[in-house]
Amino acid sequence: MNKDINIGAVRKNCYRQSKVDGEFMLQMRVPGGVIKAEYLKMAAEIADRWGDGNFHMGTRQTLDFTGIKYEDIDEVNKYIRTYIEGTEGEAGVDMDKVAGKPEQWDPEAGYPTIGARNVTACIGNVHCICGNVNTQDVAKKVEKLVFPSNYHIKCNVSGCPNDCNKANMCDFGIIGIAKIDFHPERCIGCGKCVAVCKHGATRVLSGTPNGIPAKDDCCCTGCGECVRFCPTGAWTRNPKKFYRVIIGGRTGRQTPRAGKVFLNWASEEVVMGALANWQKFSAWALDYKPMYLHGGHLIDRAGYMKFKEMILDGVKLNPECLVAERINWSETEYRSNFSVKAPADHLTAGPGSQDSH
Amino acid sequence: MAYNILTPKACEILSIDKESIHEWTFRVATDVHPKHGQFMQLSIPKVGEAPISVSAQGDGYLEFTIRSVGKLTDEFFNMRPGDTIFMRGPYGKGWPIERFTGKHLVIITGGTGLAPVRSMLNILDSDMSKVESLHLISGFKNEECIVFRKELDMWKNRFNTTYTLDNEEIEGFKSGLVTKFISEIPWKDFNDNFEVVVVGPPMMMKFTGLELLASGVPEEKIWMSFERKMSCAIGKCGHCRIDETYVCQDGPVFNYTVAKDLVD
Amino acid sequence: MSYILNQEASEAFFNELKKTYTIYAPKRIEKAGRYSDTDLIQYGEVQSFAEIVFDKKSTFPMKEVINPIQQTLFYYTEEEFRESSGPKKKILCFGRPCDINAQKIQARIYDGKGGFVDPYYKRLEDVISYVLMECPQDSDSCFCVSMNTNKTDNYVFAIKQTHDGLKIAVKDDHFEPYLQGAPITDYTASFPESNDLSLVVPEIPSKEIQNELKKHDVWKQFNSRCISCGACTIGCSTCTCFTTRDIVYSENSKAGERRRVSASCQVPGFDQMAMQKEFRSTAGDRIRYRVMHKFHDYDARFHEGHMCVGCGRCSDRCPAFIEITSTVSKMAAAIEDIKAKGE
Repeated sequence: MNKDINIGAVRKNCYRQSKVDGEFMLQMRVPGGVIKAEYLKMAAEIADRWGDGNFHMGTRQTLDFTGIKYEDIDEVNKYIRTYIEGTEGEAGVDMDKVAGKPEQWDPEAGYPTIGARNVTACIGNVHCICGNVNTQDVAKKVEKLVFPSNYHIKCNVSGCPNDCNKANMCDFGIIGIAKIDFHPERCIGCGKCVAVCKHGATRVLSGTPNGIPAKDDCCCTGCGECVRFCPTGAWTRNPKKFYRVIIGGRTGRQTPRAGKVFLNWASEEVVMGALANWQKFSAWALDYKPMYLHGGHLIDRAGYMKFKEMILDGVKLNPECLVAERINWSETEYRSNFSVKAPADHLTAGPGSQDSH
Repeated sequence: MAYNILTPKACEILSIDKESIHEWTFRVATDVHPKHGQFMQLSIPKVGEAPISVSAQGDGYLEFTIRSVGKLTDEFFNMRPGDTIFMRGPYGKGWPIERFTGKHLVIITGGTGLAPVRSMLNILDSDMSKVESLHLISGFKNEECIVFRKELDMWKNRFNTTYTLDNEEIEGFKSGLVTKFISEIPWKDFNDNFEVVVVGPPMMMKFTGLELLASGVPEEKIWMSFERKMSCAIGKCGHCRIDETYVCQDGPVFNYTVAKDLVD
Repeated sequence: MSYILNQEASEAFFNELKKTYTIYAPKRIEKAGRYSDTDLIQYGEVQSFAEIVFDKKSTFPMKEVINPIQQTLFYYTEEEFRESSGPKKKILCFGRPCDINAQKIQARIYDGKGGFVDPYYKRLEDVISYVLMECPQDSDSCFCVSMNTNKTDNYVFAIKQTHDGLKIAVKDDHFEPYLQGAPITDYTASFPESNDLSLVVPEIPSKEIQNELKKHDVWKQFNSRCISCGACTIGCSTCTCFTTRDIVYSENSKAGERRRVSASCQVPGFDQMAMQKEFRSTAGDRIRYRVMHKFHDYDARFHEGHMCVGCGRCSDRCPAFIEITSTVSKMAAAIEDIKAKGE
């Protein structure tokens, strides 16, 4: 068999190269980690007909099929058309645009881009007793803003600060947080909230001589544990939804790190408004020459101040919203002084930055 | 406005007597005349309210012996004669004095458990004709915890007394728990004409009760006074309830036939 | 007489009532529930019929109207205690049969039985009348029929919600003038005749068995399940316990309020005196205390039936899914176990 294969083009089509020559792994997107269970019949069909009969749960909540032969890719792409139209359609994605620019999608040709990476979500308040927001809805709204695109971003949505979905470890993590309202007339002074906050949150509650808890509002992480355990409904979640945005978290060979807080108590409009600027920021940072490089690295190249300026451009912050004035990254440097290198090797962003690459 | 049973009345503190470091006796001006063994609800605005047994009474005053153990009682220790405290009551059922009359009376107390029987002891001290004889066993944890020293000395001359400290022996005080001295009471000489009063911490009352039974004392002759958390003293707040019994209304004094089942 | 009112007529009727009465009914508090995007249904003053939630059992019981979680007993200074003022208007309170029957139990604790009338309860009880909300039997945790609390005649008029208004059956003639001219119907309130759940409360035949039951291992299973949060007692229609608490106004530390605050026997410290250890120190002890009160001790004292109306809110509110009829069944089995060992 002729093995002249454009690996990059195949990867862009969401097929990952196998160590077995001529074989690939298909990665299908699952926006927000949820699809109708009936799609699993299609999944079984793909694995049995074109794959090696196995199914892998992707680390970013994709449906993965190993052992797909290069020559079968066209056929598989035709088969997954209904899946893509169904799942992306449900998220409201415009498939005829790439990074916001018109570009006709061929529905029979599979995924148009591998970027942005699948937007993941925990199960959220659709099911979870801890969740503060509907993470699936949020993830779908994000999907619409970041996909399809040749710029890369890893975006994780967690329903509460417990962050089971690791918003702290991706380029742009979104955590659902709750503003907590207190109704002192319903408080019996039992101290349960104080105990659970101490045990499971940020220890912002303490008892007072009046029996009513005192709260350090500033350090409240917005988890809602006090609401969950209050026997009387003295603590309730404010009906308005709020989010914490964590940026720049990543894994990787060079400088893995946990993300840092970018926005706190942001409204959904603010979060989506910022993400709507993502393509513009990426394009500028990479001088309009897309690379397989994740968003966190682009923030590093541009510098946080530039990132902040571009990503919040035109975004009207809600009154509660706090923005990081600066960010002090703390990376794991596998090699000491990893960043200390010749000026010519320094990575830059913006016009001309990609010319030498 | 109609009479409100929960309204505390302002009363002046007349004097304060320091029984020990932790136990002070407050004499408070009032015309209320509780029965021996009843209690009052004492309160200090801002701090709260608590049931305190009457430890002595006289013309125009009541005495309360208070141990500094909590928010409210600690606040009492900041007060001086002339200050105002608030009071409502009396509440509960006191000692069945009429049943004690003409009998040999045995009183066994632990620590401040002496307070609720003090007013009764003082009455008997001035008029012993009411009872055939009086045997008093009073135990204290240690020398520091001894209360009513003056009265203890007085009663020594009038009653058959045994004073004890848990683990030490000093002049006038033997070493050991009160239960150790129950066998020294001349039960046989009483000719079945006696009653026993027991007051103290829960564990002391439990084991004293068992020891009395072992000494052949019938249940009906044993009387105990309970101390429980209370907010209202009128059978509403629920804190003092044990099974179908409300300590505030049905007690605090119980016959052992009832008290033995009052397990929380 | 019974009447049928459309939405507009219902609101007009309501507005007339409001002139004489403060009206309390269950109303929806959106997204205020224990879990995200769930609602609370809670008693509060209502301004229109539209606010009243008919189709779903309230999260918290009706007792909050007459025995609120916090109420001010006195305003104090260092010199005096001044009694708080009572209701200014008569009160109409909307409730289901179980809710209305629960007030009998509340009243048993707070009225003069035992010698003391609670003035704060009394001043509300004197001005309150109940409106019966026909129970739509929307909840599967109820067992009112077993507790004999499915019916009541303690109401001034009964109401059933229709798709575009109300049906009203007036019982107290005093309310007839409000409805003069409204279309007449043959509506009479119906009451639940059966529930999904049923409960047979076991007899505790002797003091000996009662004492053995208190010590029985059956309660220990709750040590690892119950989190002692007290949600069951706050949700309970009949629980009455409270603590008195002095609140200090921070602006003027010499004045404040003495308040009555609901207390829960399930919360650690309920029976604890200063510097002493708790009498009931485990979750199992506390559940035993509550369950035996509801299904034995109360009746043993007052001889008027049990302290439960089968509203099921203790089960609904329990975050650990401890269900009351199951718990009572376990108690029943323990009683049988004690009897068998005694034979």
